Amino acid sequence: MTLATRRLAFATTALLGLALGAASANAADLVVYCGVQEEWCQAMMNAFTKETGIKVAMTRKSAGETYAQVKAEGSNPKGDVWWGGTGDAFLQAAEDGLLSEYKSPKLAELHPWAQRQAADAQYRAVGIYAGGLGFAVNTEVLAKKKVAEPACWADLVKPEYKGEIQIANPNSSGTAYATLATLVQIFGENPAFDFMKQLHGNISQYTKSGAAPAVAAGRGEASIGIVFMHDGVTQTVNGFPVKVVAPCEGTGYEVGSMGIIKGGPNPDLAKKFYEFALTPKAQETADQAKSYQVQANVATPLSPHAPRLEKVKLIDYDFKKFGSAAERKRLLSRWDNEIGNLR
Amino acid sequence: MFRSHLLWLIVGWIAWTIAPWYGFASSRQPILGGWPASGLLAGLDDAPWLLPLGLFLALPVPFVATRSRLVGPALVVAGAGGLGWMMLQGVAIIHKGWAWPFLADLFGPIAAGQPGMGFGAMATALAFLFFLTMGLAARGAMKGDRFTTGAIGLLVASISLFVFWPVSTVFSQAMLPDADMSGPAALIHRLTAKDIWSLGCVTGTTRCGVVWNSVVLGTLCGVITTVLGLAFALVATRTTFPYQRLLRLLSVLPIITPPFVIGLAVILLFGRNGTVTLFLAENFGLTATRWIYGLPGILLTQTLAFTPIAFLVLIGVVQGIAPSMEEAAQTLRAGRWQTFRRVTWPLMRPGLANAFLVGFIESLADFGNPLVMGGGYEVLSTKIFYAVVGAQNDPGRAAALGIVLLALCIGAFLVQRRWVGTGSYTTVGGKGFAGTPAELPRWLKNAVYATALPWAAFTFLLYGLILYGGFVENWGRNNTFTLRHYVTAFGLDWNQYGLLWTGRAWNSLFTTLEVSAVSAPLTAAMGLITAYLLVRQRFTGQATFEFMTMLSFAIPGTVIGVAYILAFNQPPVELTGTAAILVVCFVFRNMPVAIRAGVAAMSQLDKNLDECALTLGANSAQTIRRVIMPLLRPAIVAALVYSFVRAITSVSAVIFLVSARHDMATSYIVGRVEIGDFGLAIAYSSVLVVLMGLAIIFIQWIVGERRIARPTPHAPAARPQEVAA
Amino acid sequence: MTRTDQKIGGVEFRSVSRRYGKVTAVDAISFKVEPGTLVTLLGPSGCGKTTTLRMIAGLEAASEGQILIGGRDVTLLPATDRDVTMVFQSYALFPHMNVLDNVAFGLEVSGVPKVQREEQAMAGLAMVGLAGFETRLPSELSGGQQQRVAVARALVLEPEVLLFDEPLSNLDAKLRRKMRDDIRELQSKLGLTSVYVTHDQEEALAVSDRIIVMNRAVIAQEGTPADLYRRPVSRFVADFMGISNLLDGTVTRRAEGRVTAHFGEAVLDLPETAITRADEITVAIRPQAIRLATEPGPDRLPVTVRKATYLGSHLEYVLDSSAGELFVVDPTSETPVPPGSSAWATFRHEGVALVPRDGQVA
Repeated sequence: MTLATRRLAFATTALLGLALGAASANAADLVVYCGVQEEWCQAMMNAFTKETGIKVAMTRKSAGETYAQVKAEGSNPKGDVWWGGTGDAFLQAAEDGLLSEYKSPKLAELHPWAQRQAADAQYRAVGIYAGGLGFAVNTEVLAKKKVAEPACWADLVKPEYKGEIQIANPNSSGTAYATLATLVQIFGENPAFDFMKQLHGNISQYTKSGAAPAVAAGRGEASIGIVFMHDGVTQTVNGFPVKVVAPCEGTGYEVGSMGIIKGGPNPDLAKKFYEFALTPKAQETADQAKSYQVQANVATPLSPHAPRLEKVKLIDYDFKKFGSAAERKRLLSRWDNEIGNLR
Repeated sequence: MFRSHLLWLIVGWIAWTIAPWYGFASSRQPILGGWPASGLLAGLDDAPWLLPLGLFLALPVPFVATRSRLVGPALVVAGAGGLGWMMLQGVAIIHKGWAWPFLADLFGPIAAGQPGMGFGAMATALAFLFFLTMGLAARGAMKGDRFTTGAIGLLVASISLFVFWPVSTVFSQAMLPDADMSGPAALIHRLTAKDIWSLGCVTGTTRCGVVWNSVVLGTLCGVITTVLGLAFALVATRTTFPYQRLLRLLSVLPIITPPFVIGLAVILLFGRNGTVTLFLAENFGLTATRWIYGLPGILLTQTLAFTPIAFLVLIGVVQGIAPSMEEAAQTLRAGRWQTFRRVTWPLMRPGLANAFLVGFIESLADFGNPLVMGGGYEVLSTKIFYAVVGAQNDPGRAAALGIVLLALCIGAFLVQRRWVGTGSYTTVGGKGFAGTPAELPRWLKNAVYATALPWAAFTFLLYGLILYGGFVENWGRNNTFTLRHYVTAFGLDWNQYGLLWTGRAWNSLFTTLEVSAVSAPLTAAMGLITAYLLVRQRFTGQATFEFMTMLSFAIPGTVIGVAYILAFNQPPVELTGTAAILVVCFVFRNMPVAIRAGVAAMSQLDKNLDECALTLGANSAQTIRRVIMPLLRPAIVAALVYSFVRAITSVSAVIFLVSARHDMATSYIVGRVEIGDFGLAIAYSSVLVVLMGLAIIFIQWIVGERRIARPTPHAPAARPQEVAA
Repeated sequence: MTRTDQKIGGVEFRSVSRRYGKVTAVDAISFKVEPGTLVTLLGPSGCGKTTTLRMIAGLEAASEGQILIGGRDVTLLPATDRDVTMVFQSYALFPHMNVLDNVAFGLEVSGVPKVQREEQAMAGLAMVGLAGFETRLPSELSGGQQQRVAVARALVLEPEVLLFDEPLSNLDAKLRRKMRDDIRELQSKLGLTSVYVTHDQEEALAVSDRIIVMNRAVIAQEGTPADLYRRPVSRFVADFMGISNLLDGTVTRRAEGRVTAHFGEAVLDLPETAITRADEITVAIRPQAIRLATEPGPDRLPVTVRKATYLGSHLEYVLDSSAGELFVVDPTSETPVPPGSSAWATFRHEGVALVPRDGQVA
């Protein structure tokens, strides 16, 4: 019994210590929701702290998760800045009034697509990087099957790719929704849906997450993944036999964005971060962290690995139209009825 | 009249007059200007609505001081009034001022709103709650037992606050009006959607609804895990298999494995480019296919993950069947097979039903495995997740799907109850626990071996591979040995400032361990006290109470996560962004298992033991501590281990609740898996598995063994001495 | 162990009921247990005796009525706060504590310092003859020893009221006799107010100052052992007290405090009691009150011996008569009357009681 008492005392002390430790955890200053890869998030926050001495508390979540959280927290926001993630989610958040309007003096230094994103969002968000849609192709698997690599969207429906292609489900993934919107803009809506119905026969799986097809292509679980090109590059750099292909008909792109959360606890610090994030110095962190998107500031040197957007035929993506909640809902439910339903 | 009356009066007064009223976890929450005041000071300053609380605190004072007979009613009035007033003002006045504009019209504008309640408010609320329960006890409720009424009050209050409120908040979203539909119409529309119920795969070329997918998966998973769990339990108790300890260890391993990891290992083995697949393709010319994605893959990983739980449920039942019953059957000339068929099997029925139920519900609520292995096979849990976070962003739909999922779980529960029926399955009496268990009939023994051993070997192989995966550059592509992943995750550095935790996983690891270590004992304590109330006490509304405790278990984590954000992001109870919300979430999510363990163990204890302690003058708390707890040690260990491990390995609810300062290991691992960085994910998981193993050993050491007989018994008690007395 | 202060705690029930939903376990019963006496609650299983006992302990709440202990109303007081201890049928020894810790438990939770409580516990163990067993675990004791530990544990608290819930039912016959004598001795030596529950009338007769017979949630009869045995007020009590010969009879004459009762061919002239006013009655005859005679007479019943058993200390007969079967215990004779022989049964009047027939009100 005395032994049990001693053990209990020991455990209680240990627990109390833990609880006190938890209570005294130092309060960070700026709260950032980060929507890109973890390495890049870390590198970016470290760079900011180094530059300004301001401590950052950062959470990494996908764009969808962050949007859900910012929306749920809307009545009493807990975050200051939302940095990184598909532009669509930002446009939606801007539409919902969850982000505050801010015009940076650095806007002029940015690529036109980044400025346009800001304008589309009524300056409640700004573009910080861009990435084009393309194919991540596993050259090893295709070589073994003696099948040529696809070069165009139209190639994808060829019978030799049966069961070889993966793309995410547009209901769950912003990447796949961007693909859907891109196809509609390239081919027109009805032909685009016909195309997707044909494509359906070649698709082995609609994944949940947008980058998953790139991972699958890297592992050889699929030979072609329809993804953002920079996700494909990451696989290549990680040592997988992945080649990134830009479709010949042209392709859509995403504008990764940033916004200040309306009513967040530290609006002044948020602005500091916002300004810093638009400098080349901040944007260089992407390359160091194996993220190969094109950065928004014109002066940021382009990573040698990054897919050259200027060599890709980019369509004139109508973010405003396809980012709106109504159009999104309409297209998704049409996709659900005509394609998602198929066996 | 009693010391406890005085105690809670003092607590109430201190909490209201001195303790900081606002800002739960105040050191983390920015405190608004001048707010760390107590309820009294804030009331005198600009929150006059806090002043009436003083009246409720003052009301019982004369009655307690004069030991009046009316102290009971006075306490009831003060407790109920105080609690009611606190709730009213908390809901009506939030951080922005009046919560609803009509209140401002009614009462006029107020200077400022108020932040979430803090320690002072919490302690005051507790004092009021215990006023109420002590008052009811003084009026004879629950045989006048203040501890029991207090425990019921506390549990009902906390379950209402942390289970019922968030869950109803999120479910009410299913009624959100949609574009052109009114609330109820939208609800019906959502509940009857084609992608939930369609039977297209049977009749046509479209897909089946997710409900059917989920039901098929859950049923298969429930049946298979039950069969495997039974096979393991029989091997462990009814055979002379030489490596039983190893087998037990192996069977528990998947419980302490973070989600995704088993899925990853299975993909790396059986995926189109997996080791086994390639081996078969090269040596036997089989075409590599993607058969593993979809139902087979989910089923395989879920079976791996949930068989141990079925095993743990069943081993207790199999052990609990008194050998004397089987011996009795054998003396009645029943053969081994007849004994098994007519005695052993029927007695195992409740165990089998429970194992199936747990397997079914776990499968339905599981989210990690369908995500990794699902392919095109959609189930409710993933559908809910993406309804919340996906491109659709439709919380109404998520809520409707959540209702469907909950209904399925309750349905399974009812079916199980019917099957078990009301027969008596009591096998543990006070006496006669001797005899050796009957050996299994030969063919059954062979069948059991044939089921359990290959599965054990498979699990063994899988874990060997997982461990191995953490030590190679890039599993499957570049198998050179490296410590790179471990260094990245758990690197340490030393410079002039001292030790530097440079590894990227340290932060989340520390938070995870801390949150789990705090929530596990709370979960076990709450669960066992609830079990005590359910088994040992009778009160009105008990069935509802029991159902409420089960609610958070049957609801998928994603829904709980969103529910917690919706409910606890703003005053009166503001917890988002603190570690407390993680702890609370784990406590209430894992409590049902602690309750089940406690109920099972406590039903085996003679009720006279605690009644005897009561008549000897021990109060209920002393009885629990000195008599029940020592006898419940196995259940305590089970509850602690489960809640600790579950806090570490759960993902779905956590994804929404982690915050910048409180990231959890699993959400970090999910991030690594998403971009295909399997090495780091596996390395991190291996470390977690080892840590959890150590924690289990530690918990067993802390709690200790239940000692009711010496290992070397005395000679049968000596009668001569007795007569000499 | 010396009692420091003599507690005079009687128990009183004032029309106490206990209901579970629609089932009434105890129906408005009232009784008094005088301080320092041992009262037994006797009755068949399900009669409400254990519920009554548990209400005294505070383990069950009364649905209605008032319970007083030592003159104080304890109806709403929880078990913990009542100065009552109980010896359970299952003993309820704490299996994880050794004998000494078990006995000292009550003292420990009420805050008696370690040295003192161990001293008292040792004294308690010595009193029940278990000195030297302190470090054993309950699982290492025999049934009788466990029983003694349970008694010692209840005694050391010097309670106002000591309760026994069928404390001997798990013991063999020989041990049971010894234990009940020991319990009675301890109780009277310490002057403890005790309430004892049993379904064994012999045990009840042996230990009690007074007996309360319960049947179907109400009190059937209350009195001293001799009262109950000699003057049962109902067929149920007579039967339950072991008066096994219950014959139908009629009353033909009532005069000057005496009644004439007929059963079969026998006519007995008995003192009138307040028990029955009806003419149709049941005659309850103790087995010991019947003897066999060879001569007929008006107050004798002609019988045929069906079975005769020699049991050493006494003879047992089963007799057939026109009034029904009779069971006889005869310790006075050594030579049995052989089965098949005819004889006349004679009745000692002290051993005959008239009770109402079932279904009739007294």
